[in-house]
Amino acid sequence: MAESSPAETVTLTIDGRQVTVPRGTTLLQAAERVGTRVPHYCYHPGLSAPAMCRLCLVEIEKAPKLVPSCITQAADGQVVHTQSEEPLAMRRGVLEFYLQNHPLDCPICDQSGECKLQDYAHAEGRVHGRGREPKRVFGRDDFGGDVVFYGDRCVMCTRCVRFMNEIEQDPRLTVVERGDRSIIDTFFEEGLEGTHYHGNIVDICPVGALLSKDFLFKQRAWDLDHTPSVCPGCSQGCNIELHTRDNLVQRLRPRVNLDVNGHWMCDHGRLDYEWINRGDRVEVPLVGDGREARATGWRAALTSLLERLDGAGPVRAVVSPRLANEDLGAVRALVDALGGGEIVYRSRRAPAEVPLKGFPKLARRRDLEPNVNAARLLGMERVGGDDGTGGLAPFAAHGGVLIVAGDELADQPPDFGERARLYVYLGQHPTAAASRAHFVLPITNFAEQEGSFTNHEHRVQRFWPALEPPGAARPGWLVLGALLAERAGEAAPTRAEVAFERIGAFEGLTYERVGTGGAPIGEDRALPAEAAGGRA
Amino acid sequence: MAVTVKVMRRPEPGRSSYLRAALRGMGLTFKHLVNPNKVTLEYPEEQPDLSPRWRGTHRMEVHADGRPKCVACGLCPTVCPANCIRLVGGEDDQGNRYPVVYEVDEFRCIFCGMCQEVCPVEAIHVGVHFENAEYTRSRFVYDLDRLMDQQHPTTRLWDPSDRKSE
Repeated sequence: MAESSPAETVTLTIDGRQVTVPRGTTLLQAAERVGTRVPHYCYHPGLSAPAMCRLCLVEIEKAPKLVPSCITQAADGQVVHTQSEEPLAMRRGVLEFYLQNHPLDCPICDQSGECKLQDYAHAEGRVHGRGREPKRVFGRDDFGGDVVFYGDRCVMCTRCVRFMNEIEQDPRLTVVERGDRSIIDTFFEEGLEGTHYHGNIVDICPVGALLSKDFLFKQRAWDLDHTPSVCPGCSQGCNIELHTRDNLVQRLRPRVNLDVNGHWMCDHGRLDYEWINRGDRVEVPLVGDGREARATGWRAALTSLLERLDGAGPVRAVVSPRLANEDLGAVRALVDALGGGEIVYRSRRAPAEVPLKGFPKLARRRDLEPNVNAARLLGMERVGGDDGTGGLAPFAAHGGVLIVAGDELADQPPDFGERARLYVYLGQHPTAAASRAHFVLPITNFAEQEGSFTNHEHRVQRFWPALEPPGAARPGWLVLGALLAERAGEAAPTRAEVAFERIGAFEGLTYERVGTGGAPIGEDRALPAEAAGGRA
Repeated sequence: MAVTVKVMRRPEPGRSSYLRAALRGMGLTFKHLVNPNKVTLEYPEEQPDLSPRWRGTHRMEVHADGRPKCVACGLCPTVCPANCIRLVGGEDDQGNRYPVVYEVDEFRCIFCGMCQEVCPVEAIHVGVHFENAEYTRSRFVYDLDRLMDQQHPTTRLWDPSDRKSE
């Protein structure tokens, strides 16, 4: 991946189509520009290319023999054929070699459906194998961590070895033995235990040799729905895809964004998704008198909340930094509309960052919540300890209006908010600390709503709804937006986009500008934590 | 076009006998009494002779040690046009993929036999069987144990000696 100025370009012909690319572009990347995907295993855009899989060989006119397109740089006037007779015959031959020892256990292989060997063999391989000798058998090996290795399926692309060497920079994997007995192995019994990014080798494995233990035999790849999202595991904001089925998140996969996470994500974020699938949810609005609560509808709940909102005393709010920008902005707007008051959040913090050495932009950040930076930008303060508990003593005994949004208050006693004249709890989960609430309003989590997070470098990134919200749960911005609009006699925001544009701190940004890759807030508004005094 | 009228020649009342027609009818009845080519069956004492291609309720094939042959590959729920198969895969104590849940809703099933056709390990089969009466509707969702307990012969979707149906 050589750097070059845009002025230095070369023009060549690939499969009869002319393309102009920067000097230094490889033939494989140039072919992608004209819509031709040259089959490859060992090449990965995030890694070095050893040109050892021999699958990406293409024909260049007047060249003596086929060249590997993943390392050959495009040159002026080249005429390249990727689909002519010679490369096709070569690929068919190479694929036959790959299938010589590859077990035909697609029915029990988790990679089935997203397997490159399946795809290539189906598209270009022979219909029937000619092998007569028995296949060599390695069996299964536990690599430690979240990775299990099926040696028989390996195609020796060594992407995993190169990932551990170049990106994680903790060489734990290597190739042992030679010839058809060569196999990926760990050093003695060391394994991958203790490394923090090894889940990526499962993603980059083109076949089913490296599989995730967490996902093993759980779902078929073709059954999963993919929704672009942002990892809620820390304030890095890795771009991810939520893979869902049966209205449950089944696994997380990184989504390419070279400005944030490249092709990678950490294991902490990858495996921390069970909370999204929690079944104990508030499903209907509950209206109570502080002792008993009864279920009601949204209209009744919001109407009666609106009547009690004014004149109930000073306001204090607790929010969760897992809420979207839009939700936090709506809480801020509500508190401001009621005369202003203290808003705090609690967040878990790790003792140290966990950087990815080969891709320095990416690290598991200290803040283990996705949206602490939006909370800071909106003038909210952090209280409590590094485990995300405590610090709410003045709120538990607050006598005016108490608003809790998103925070589950798991560490708080049942008499939390007992003395509040109005205690509104907007949350996903029923909790003991909400038993004195006058209003319990069900809101959605990030996987069930559209919205955005602000990451550690004040980059706003959008996510999309992947799951059906339970019962009558609605996004926080919709609930609070409707409440505020009714109070002010305005139109309520009906889309997350509108709710986002109403937040002063993000002025100038629109969903359209943020797009799928995110956009930074202007430098002048990206305030450090201490200086963030209010609405910027 | 002139209209033609067909004139029926009927026996005049009082001048003909119905005896001949009555005897002919009784003769026909008697003929069927002794006819060897009978079409009715003394069901359930006599069982109908079903074609080997008959596609009835499902059956799961079982290994010698009692495990189901199914490897939970998910092809049958994928191919099923009626969406009547529910499958949850898992890992057994030997590290093999196996069906934790395998349910076929026989009410939803349209008995197309594609599940049997697609199965890579010849585990799920439709069967040569039609006696499915139950007292409750829920009993028509066959779970894995029930599918493994079925004893009826499995359907032969094609002649093994003539795989291409030539």
